[in-house]
Amino acid sequence: MLVTFKYRPRNTFIQRLDPRTRLIFFLCVVLALTIPEIWDYRFILPLFFVSLTLFLISHIEWKDVRRILPFMFILVFFIVGLNGLLSGRGGPSSVTNIPSPVVFEVLWGIPITVSKMWFALTQITRMFTMALLVIPIPYTMDPNIYGTAFKRMGASDKVSFTMDLAFRFLPTFARDFMITMDAQRARGYEMDNLKGGLVARIQRLAPLIIPVVMQSTVTGEEVIDAMDLRAFGTKPRTWLKDLKYAPRDFFLLGLGVAIFIGCCVFKWGFGVGGYFVPDFFTNLFI
Amino acid sequence: MSNSPLIIDSLTFKYRTRPELAIEDISFELKQGELLLIAGSSGCGKTTLARCINGLIPRSYRGERQGSVLLNGREVAEMQIPEMAQMVGTLLQDPERQIVASNVFNEIAFGPENLGLPREEIVSRVDQAMKRLNIEYLRERETFNLSGGEKQKVALAGVLTMNPSILLLDEPLASLDPASAHEALSVFRSLADEGKTVILVEHRVEDAIAIQPDRMLYMEEGRIKYLGPIRDLPKEIDHTKVKLPAPWVVQRVKALDPVPESAPQPKVEESSEPLVVFEDVDFRYGDEYPLILKNVNLTINRGDLIAVLGPNGAGKSTLVKHAIGLLKPTKGRVLVEGQDTRKMSVAQIARVLGYVFQSPTHMLYAPTVKEELEFGPKNLNFNPDDMAKSIAESLSTVNLNGFEEYPPLGLSFGQQKRTTIAAVLAMRSKILIMDEPTAGQDFANYTHFMETLCKTSDGRESILSANFASTLFITHDLDLAVTYANRVLLFGDKHIVADGRPEDVLKDVDMLLKYRVRPTSLLHLNLDLLGKTGRFLPAESLAGFAA
Repeated sequence: MLVTFKYRPRNTFIQRLDPRTRLIFFLCVVLALTIPEIWDYRFILPLFFVSLTLFLISHIEWKDVRRILPFMFILVFFIVGLNGLLSGRGGPSSVTNIPSPVVFEVLWGIPITVSKMWFALTQITRMFTMALLVIPIPYTMDPNIYGTAFKRMGASDKVSFTMDLAFRFLPTFARDFMITMDAQRARGYEMDNLKGGLVARIQRLAPLIIPVVMQSTVTGEEVIDAMDLRAFGTKPRTWLKDLKYAPRDFFLLGLGVAIFIGCCVFKWGFGVGGYFVPDFFTNLFI
Repeated sequence: MSNSPLIIDSLTFKYRTRPELAIEDISFELKQGELLLIAGSSGCGKTTLARCINGLIPRSYRGERQGSVLLNGREVAEMQIPEMAQMVGTLLQDPERQIVASNVFNEIAFGPENLGLPREEIVSRVDQAMKRLNIEYLRERETFNLSGGEKQKVALAGVLTMNPSILLLDEPLASLDPASAHEALSVFRSLADEGKTVILVEHRVEDAIAIQPDRMLYMEEGRIKYLGPIRDLPKEIDHTKVKLPAPWVVQRVKALDPVPESAPQPKVEESSEPLVVFEDVDFRYGDEYPLILKNVNLTINRGDLIAVLGPNGAGKSTLVKHAIGLLKPTKGRVLVEGQDTRKMSVAQIARVLGYVFQSPTHMLYAPTVKEELEFGPKNLNFNPDDMAKSIAESLSTVNLNGFEEYPPLGLSFGQQKRTTIAAVLAMRSKILIMDEPTAGQDFANYTHFMETLCKTSDGRESILSANFASTLFITHDLDLAVTYANRVLLFGDKHIVADGRPEDVLKDVDMLLKYRVRPTSLLHLNLDLLGKTGRFLPAESLAGFAA
């Protein structure tokens, strides 16, 4: 059976928003940062603070996100940030192409330049700007309106319900993973004891991965049978839940569209918003 | 033409992927308002027959079909799914498999929404279905937080909103505790009384008989072995293949006039050594969550064969997860062979205590049975010789010799279950803990499974007593406790409410009912004859004592 995230009704600004507004606003921010390739901290920082504000006013309890947040921090800092710092890749070519003072060297003589350091900071901030908009969704958006939200944005019945199921697949996968983990630990299996090379380590994960994948496959087939038996997809369906935009939704939608258009206009119209290292940062190291 | 809601004529089906026929030459007809019970062991063709009736065959499952299935005079294979869904409502074996929405109202409305009905019509149908099943109070609840019985009712309400004339109930009691199963059966009976044609596919025949089905269809190897009234069952059906009420078994055994087999005496060691000790254990998942275990005190001794009974959600699995160290007490302590589990890793405890999870698919992963059995011993650093010896003995113990190179996930459910037991046996743990060891198995299979584990022969010890110092199993099946256990724990209200010999704990019928354990005919008969027998016995063994 599919389960849901730990959604809890709260009387907050975020939860009073139409779910479509939140999805569209998120899309606007992502597109604003990626399509015109915005790397300028003067654009990214304000967007980061907007995202942070929306995250904070969603009033999610620490106990709900105490697992996902550290995971997100590790992912962003150590994978995205460290990659940016060491290689300077994953962004504009000017990070590595334009000469920049070397601050120090690491590992086998990999130069850490001022430009790479600034790029890593920028990349981390960009990622958090997007992540902070996504993390509250499972905890603050009623799972009963996942499908309705996509339907009312113009998606087909099948796509809308697929999105509904997909949202609930992740916590179901997590639950099955925990049960399997317990079952294998009871047979003496210890994650900490993964030894050997990469292939050997992956092989040692098989006792966890295979049962969970099998469970997921079975669950998928069961859901399909259950939906078939109740005539899903045979004709246009009625979606009982209705959604209505309120003035606050129009405000946030307007802000989202303005951010997207603004970023495009500044970047393509005025050539502002691309990557550069500000002088105050360079001066810190020379 | 007959106006029967369902006519099946000479129906034969073979799955595309299998060489043998799944069902063969099935013919019967149902009247409106009739309640038909379909029974038979796993693999006898019940589910295939159900799929032919609800149209999943030939739409979702391909193969060769011959004969006809007529719903209200129309061939199933020629009907569109929306039409069929409004004629046959299917309740799947596990309500969890049927529920697709995250909230009760959405779940019940799912079918009518798919039919594209007007909103007012959908809301009206949902309200009626909830009222019919007395579940209006669940309207806004999340589906995954419901109890097993509530999920069953919500799934049934979702079926009823399609207004089907035929209800096809595929082993609907499988995941319910006894009291919830009884409530569900009462609802099925009343639906038949209101004019719905009800097809109840169920191997818990004894429970199903209580609602007086009009007829029973018994299948073996894809064919109809018996189709007729319930009253002739004791004469027609082998009681070792279908669970019949204990008095019927006694009557049948007497009529067959065999020498009743003497039941093994469950062994109790008086001066036993404590293996696991719970001392004033409280447990909750976090400060903000309610207590799940409260002041639990328990000692598991050498020689114990313990059945743990109690309602769904009472905390039985939480209790045993403390023993293996997967959970640590919030207050109090759990000692395994004198050591506090807080100071031991799960892997260390696994050397002492083997835990078989309810679902084999959560454990099995290896490409062969042999590799599956090697997993535990390797984790515990057995040397190769000891491991090979241990695996060979384990396979032999659960009768899986010759299956070493088979893929475990390709085995039958019963064989998978035995593979999981062998996997724990191979670790040479002292204590065996099984969570619902018979769940998902039909009567013949689970009786064979338990007999294999518990039975003594030729003066030799049973598999359990020869290999484990102590065994504990969680079960909803009261008759397992009556037949196989030497000690019963009744769990409820977050703690152990009764602990003792089966004959002492299970005689308090009122207390059993209070904790949703419904006394069975076997228990009643045993209680009636306890003065003569001195202990609980299986139904066959009671034949020699009953008048």
